[in-house]
Parts: sequence; structure tokens; C-alpha cells
Amino acid sequence: MISSRFVGKSALLLAGALSAAALPPLPRALGEPAECEAPDELMHIDDKLPRLAERLHANEPVKIVAIGGASTTGLAAGSSELAYPHRLQEILIRWYPSSPITVVNRGIPRQTAQQMLERFPTDVIPEDPVLVIWETGTTDAVRGVGVDDFAAALQTGIDDLKARSIDIMLVDMQFSHSTVTVIDFEGYLNALHRVGDVNDVNVFPRFEMMRYWSEQNVFNFDGVAKDERAGLAAKVYDCIARKLAAAIRIALR
Amino acid sequence: MPAAQQRDRRLDFFRGLALIFIFIDHIPENIFSYFTVQAFQFYDAAEIFIFISGYTAALVYGRTLALQGASYATARIISRAWQLYVAHIFLFVIFIAEVSYTVTTFKNPMYNDEMRVGDFLDEPHVAIVKALFLEFQPTFLDILPLYILLLTIFPIILFGLRLHPPLVLIPSFLLYFGVQVTDISVPAYPEGHVWFFNPLAWQFLFIAGAALGLDGMRGDRWLRFERAALPIAALVVGAASLVKLSWTIHGIWDPFPGLFLKELWPINKNNLSPIRLVPFFAALAVIAVIVKRDAIFLRLPLTKPLVLCGQQSLEIFCLGILLSALGHFVLSEYNSGIVTQGFVNLAGILIMCLTAKMIDWYKSVGRMAPSQVIEVRPPGADLGGR
Repeated sequence: MISSRFVGKSALLLAGALSAAALPPLPRALGEPAECEAPDELMHIDDKLPRLAERLHANEPVKIVAIGGASTTGLAAGSSELAYPHRLQEILIRWYPSSPITVVNRGIPRQTAQQMLERFPTDVIPEDPVLVIWETGTTDAVRGVGVDDFAAALQTGIDDLKARSIDIMLVDMQFSHSTVTVIDFEGYLNALHRVGDVNDVNVFPRFEMMRYWSEQNVFNFDGVAKDERAGLAAKVYDCIARKLAAAIRIALR
Repeated sequence: MPAAQQRDRRLDFFRGLALIFIFIDHIPENIFSYFTVQAFQFYDAAEIFIFISGYTAALVYGRTLALQGASYATARIISRAWQLYVAHIFLFVIFIAEVSYTVTTFKNPMYNDEMRVGDFLDEPHVAIVKALFLEFQPTFLDILPLYILLLTIFPIILFGLRLHPPLVLIPSFLLYFGVQVTDISVPAYPEGHVWFFNPLAWQFLFIAGAALGLDGMRGDRWLRFERAALPIAALVVGAASLVKLSWTIHGIWDPFPGLFLKELWPINKNNLSPIRLVPFFAALAVIAVIVKRDAIFLRLPLTKPLVLCGQQSLEIFCLGILLSALGHFVLSEYNSGIVTQGFVNLAGILIMCLTAKMIDWYKSVGRMAPSQVIEVRPPGADLGGR
């Protein structure tokens, strides 16, 4: 596989030493659960969110649209209240109390980037968002959509949002160690990160983060009883929301 | 093959190397893929494999055609294609078993809504039939269908090339060019998918290899031309390597600039973009001049395993695909640390080389004349036991 952006732990070993010194430490939310802990080197948030910063600075209302798949809907946790967009809204409201902040959940399970792109005119643009969080890639990898087509859909979406002066944050796939043996995520991860890279758009590294948690045995679904799995999923979504909020805060600096 | 002319070991060596690279590159997130050809070249092991396969196919079947006639040559080619087909179906069955097992025993609710068995195998009966027709090509099972298709049409290509090379080369190039302009592709299963290696584009590399292979039988005629083109070729190789290497480093360490990244990326592999093809031919010209047919290093004990892998390419290719799936499983299931990675890569390469050695031994015994066989046998051995 062409590994343009190397997404492995091994890359961390190489890159960590080089870039750790250059990165500012992540802000930690007060009372963040210990299990959300993840190394700072995982996040490469180098690009700004200028429109969001402007709105928050002027204490104006902020609307964020989270478009994505099943993990955006939050069905696995049992309710959309427990999904990452809603949790993110709660955290941001706490951090920036002077702006009214809403995060709209536009998740629909099992859609490719192209299908999500086709929902932009109905689900995203009419909301008049200042920031769009685009969580994508899983269905493309599962269905084996051409990597170039995937990249092209992302590019079209980014161009569209940029032309409308909307800030963008991409979110990559979920990690689960049983899925990586049957789905080849690498090409899609590389493409997604590279599209972010060439367009100066931040990518939230959910995959690496969840892999880290999995390796630390923080969230392991294998030994968990069926009725407790939803609770565990809610915890993961909560951590994702916290880390995503932290990433947004870095981008606002 | 005792009667055959001196085998060009460069072909075996580089094909063996390509097979090892394919194994390494197919293990996702393998740190050793930093040291394979794709880390510093726009093309990867797939181009090397397809080109050399075309070249050797022309050498081997060109000889058959000259000595034993068109019907026998055709039969031999088709029988080889059939072998490849059976190997492909074998790999497919293993893939399906792996997917079915993993997806049905899934415990993570965060993924239940994202992927179901249905996404892999919506209608198993259709999927299996589509696989038999080479239309269903799951990840990593996409290069053999290309090779099978190319071999199936190879008799016609070979006859054409023997008759008058431009008769084949010009239409082949025009087709390749047409794909670059119109972006046409070959549909696959499920709906909306295409052949990963677009045969309409990749055929050109195979046919170009075959044309050179057939030509190579008449000696190194092109060497003078290659010497003249060497400075330009070397320049292309140097510039392309520099650009690609900068991308690889940029991928590891963000502050390092990726040269022309915004302008050139993404580079289309499905259609064998000219950005892949031109540096490949340039590198080929450079290597053909620098590495002599009788280069000493091709006879060293150290390169012998690679030469053997290249000689048993079908078996070693299939084995490599299986081993990389297994290696990936080990890395994701147990530990993906650098030590384990090193172990997995080393073990895989060792298994590939030893298997190649074993197949070579098996075939060489089979090729021995009966009188030789008797000599090897201990006295009094049963001669009827073969």
C-alpha cells in the first residue's frame, strides 16, 4: 500500500520524537475522565478555524453541523443525547458561555462520502453553519469504493464549503481491532489525511486515538456483556467529544 | 530447462524482489514499507511484476511458438492462465472465510450499524458466481484477475508481436492513451465498482514488456539507444525519486515539505497514470544499462533466494498474499511493536524463500532424465515408484 501519511503506531515512534517538542500540549478539560487520556502527538492541529473564531470573539451565535455515519448518530450508545455531537455542544457551551452554540446532528448510518456530499444541499447548507464537522470514510472502506473517488468526493465537499466561507474539520474512521483484519482502512485513511493536508483542513485522528485506547485496554468490547456494551459506547463517544473539543480549541488559538 | 538459452537472471531477481515488496506493502501500516520501492518511486511493485510477467511470458511462449507451433503455444498459455485462475479462486475462498468469520462474531456495537455481512456479501450466491467471472475483486485479490485476463488474450498478442510489433504496440498505446483521456473503466461487482487494475490501461505495460522480451531474444539491440537516452532517463528517475521521497518524509514528519504535493497528488493507480508509467520506463532504461545480464551480484548466495522466488512467481505471489494477511492478523491481534513487525516481516520473507527453494528442488528432480534419477537413487530402490 502506498503509505503517504503513515497512520501506524510505528509512525508515532518515528514522528513523536521529532514533532513532540514543536506541539503545544493539549488543553485538558477539567474533570476529564482518565480513560480519555491519549498522547498529544496523535493530534496534528495546524490549521485555524477563522470563522468560528470570529463568531466566538464577537459573542455571536454559533451553529455547527456534524455530518457523518452511524457513529455520528450515536445509535450504539442508545440515544443521540449520548452521541459525540451533543456531548461536544455541551462542552463548547461550557467553554464559551457568551455565544449560544448548537451542534446539529446530521448522521445517517452507512453512507459513503459521495452520498454525504449529496446531502450537503439539504442537510448542511440550509443550517447556515459556521463550522462543518465531516466524519466519513468508514462506509467507503467497507464497500471498497475507489480511493481516488473517495478523495474526489472529499475534495468536492471541501471546495463547496470553502466557497461558502464555512470552516471545516474532518473526522476519520473508528478503530476496532476486529474490523481492521477484514477492512483495509489504510488507503482511505491516507487519502483522507492527505486531502486535509493539501487543503489546509484539520483532520481529527479518531482512528489513531481509538487504537491507542484499544491498545491500552481502556475500551475493550471483547469481554463485555451485551447489555453493558451501549454504556461503553457512550463512554467512547464522550471521550471523542472531549478530544474533538480540545482540537477545536487548539485551532481557535 | 537444459535446452533453453541462458536465463536472464535479472528478470528473476527483480521479480523476486517485487514479490517480497508486494508481501511487505500488503501488510497495512508496516514500517518496513518505508524501504520498498513505493517509498521513493511513483510506481510500485505491481508495475515491476506486470512488466516482468509480460517480458518473461514473451520469452517463454515465444520460444514455444517458434519451436512447437501456434496451437501448442496457445494451449500452454491457456493452461497457465487456468493455473492462475485456480490460485485466484483458492485465495478468494480463504478471504471469504476470514470475512464471514470476523463479521458474524462481531461484538462491538459501535460498528454494527456501520458494517454488516451484507456489505461484503449482499447475496452470497451472486458474489461467488461474480468471483468466478473475476468481477468480484475484494481488496488484495485484484492483481491476479488482471494477470489472468492478460494471459488469456496473450496468444493473439504474441502472434501479432511476432508478425509485426507496431501492429500490436500502436493499438495498445492508443487504448492506454484513450483511458487517460476519457477515464473509461471496466465495471466490476458490486454495482458501481470497477476493476482496480484497469486492464484497458495496464495491458500497455504488459504488452510493452512482451514486445521487449520478444526483442530481447535477438540480443540487446536496444542497448545503444538506451545508452543515448541514459542522461534523460537518469534525470527523470532522480527528479521523481526526490519528489516522492519528500512526500514519504512529509507523511512521517509533517513540517518537512512535500514537493509538488498539491499539484501532483492524487496519482491514479487504477489507470496507471503517466506519472507512474514514465518514471518506471526511465528506471527500466537506467537499470538495463547499469545492471548487466551477467552481473556478479546476481550469482551471489545472498541474492539466490530472490532469484528463486522470481522463478516460482505464481506460487510465491499467492503465498505472499496469504502471509501478509496472516502477518496483519498477528500484528493487529497481538502486538504491533517494531520488534514484532520485524519478526513478522522476516518470518514471511524466510517462508517465501524457503518455499521457493523447495519448489525449485521439486521441479528440478521432476525434470531430471530417468538415467539421472537412477544415479541419485540408492542402489536397489524400486524403479516403479515414480
